[in-house]
Amino acid sequence: MQTRIPLLVCLISGLIMFAQYFSSHPVAKSIYENVLEWWQIIFAFTLLVGVAAFIKTNLKSISQKKDAPYRTISLLGLVLMPILALIGGTKIDTPFLWVFENMQAPMQATVFSLLAFFVASASYRGFRARSIPASILLVTALIVLIGRVPIAEFISDSIPKVGFWIQNYPSMSARRAILIGIGLGSMTTALRVILGIERTYLRGN
Amino acid sequence: MKTRWIIFAGMFVIVVISYLMSVPFETQPSPEIQKSFDFFESLPESSVVIFSFDHEASSLPEIQPIALVMLRHAFKNKTKVIGLSLFAEGTAIGYRMLNKAANEYGLKYGRDYAFLGFKPQHISAILGIGESIRRVFPEDYLGNSTDTLPIMHGIDNYDHIDMVVTIADGDRPAQWIEYGGANYNQQIMAGLTAAMITSYDPYLASGQLYSVVGGLKGAAEYENLYGKRGSGNRGMLAQTSAHFYVIVLIIIGNIIYFRNRKRQGRG
Repeated sequence: MQTRIPLLVCLISGLIMFAQYFSSHPVAKSIYENVLEWWQIIFAFTLLVGVAAFIKTNLKSISQKKDAPYRTISLLGLVLMPILALIGGTKIDTPFLWVFENMQAPMQATVFSLLAFFVASASYRGFRARSIPASILLVTALIVLIGRVPIAEFISDSIPKVGFWIQNYPSMSARRAILIGIGLGSMTTALRVILGIERTYLRGN
Repeated sequence: MKTRWIIFAGMFVIVVISYLMSVPFETQPSPEIQKSFDFFESLPESSVVIFSFDHEASSLPEIQPIALVMLRHAFKNKTKVIGLSLFAEGTAIGYRMLNKAANEYGLKYGRDYAFLGFKPQHISAILGIGESIRRVFPEDYLGNSTDTLPIMHGIDNYDHIDMVVTIADGDRPAQWIEYGGANYNQQIMAGLTAAMITSYDPYLASGQLYSVVGGLKGAAEYENLYGKRGSGNRGMLAQTSAHFYVIVLIIIGNIIYFRNRKRQGRG
């Protein structure tokens, strides 16, 4: 019973949503609009699960004295932001937004900017022409890298053109293959879930 | 360890010095930028465009020049802009950018532009806008009822929207295309970080994505077409210098590699 009811709910919901896509009947439209609203409400509740997991993981690490100062700051942030939001709201010119704009945003931008340093270090250490495929990758990367800056046109008109060609043909064909694979995989998984073959969301029962 | 710190210091010095210098770059706009520019240029007055700020704060230095130049162009041509965000962090940033660009043209909130705020669960929000914007956003970001905003008169769903411009650093444009585009035939344009451009090439080639303004270079090219240089152009020298620094490092790394291999071969 524990397994059959969720499977039945999943099957009926899946079939209804599948059928309504092809129907313009007002009932189908109403169902669709209601499901969209439920979806947002359910999503908001799933955030609570994430918060609970975050608190549990960090408290466990603090009790084990593993990265305790960092994890304490994380937990303080998690507590402080909702308090600020409850006191002054989340709109413009509130303490919540002040913290976001003056602490969170610069910190995030700083971490993201560190990428430039690691790319520089990795390009020096890792980008070596060790074999023919590695050499092809190296030359391709150099062309695309130069082609992405305005000065490329001053060096040679061909560099941006070759860069675009790499982007539009070899790179795009690989991307397209991946996207088609993802699409087919999503469809297969959806069918398996609706038909009750895929049951990992029921703890694999 | 020492080499790594020298490389880091080199990158820091090059970026800082080149950012402080002001060197104008005259570049030929790429076809994608020209297409984006031409779209706004050809829009009739009072057309309505949605700007969705679907990005994190971390990508702001790259995203902001793109968003600002496109908003300025839209406002200059008297296009009405409805802002929203499907990424919590983009909410306040989007509102500020929208206000900044609108204030430069003396536009009035509610009549010429509005910001509807953030909605969680982006897929249901994108699908919901196709049915009724009011149902997804009953209030704007400032707490006004959406119905009371003059800009919203006659605007109910994608049928009344000329273009959705998603300013993004991740996969939100894909969802706009897959749900807003595929289900409701809505045209989608994207302002993307440079790292994300290739991810959307298949959508561009198939016509599912109208056009892309990508990276700082895209912003700089758009600024040149628009006729007013901004932060996109300002960052181009720093980006160019950093690219060349990386190229030089790759070449030096390979020279050392081949020299060592030659020595080992002799030994």
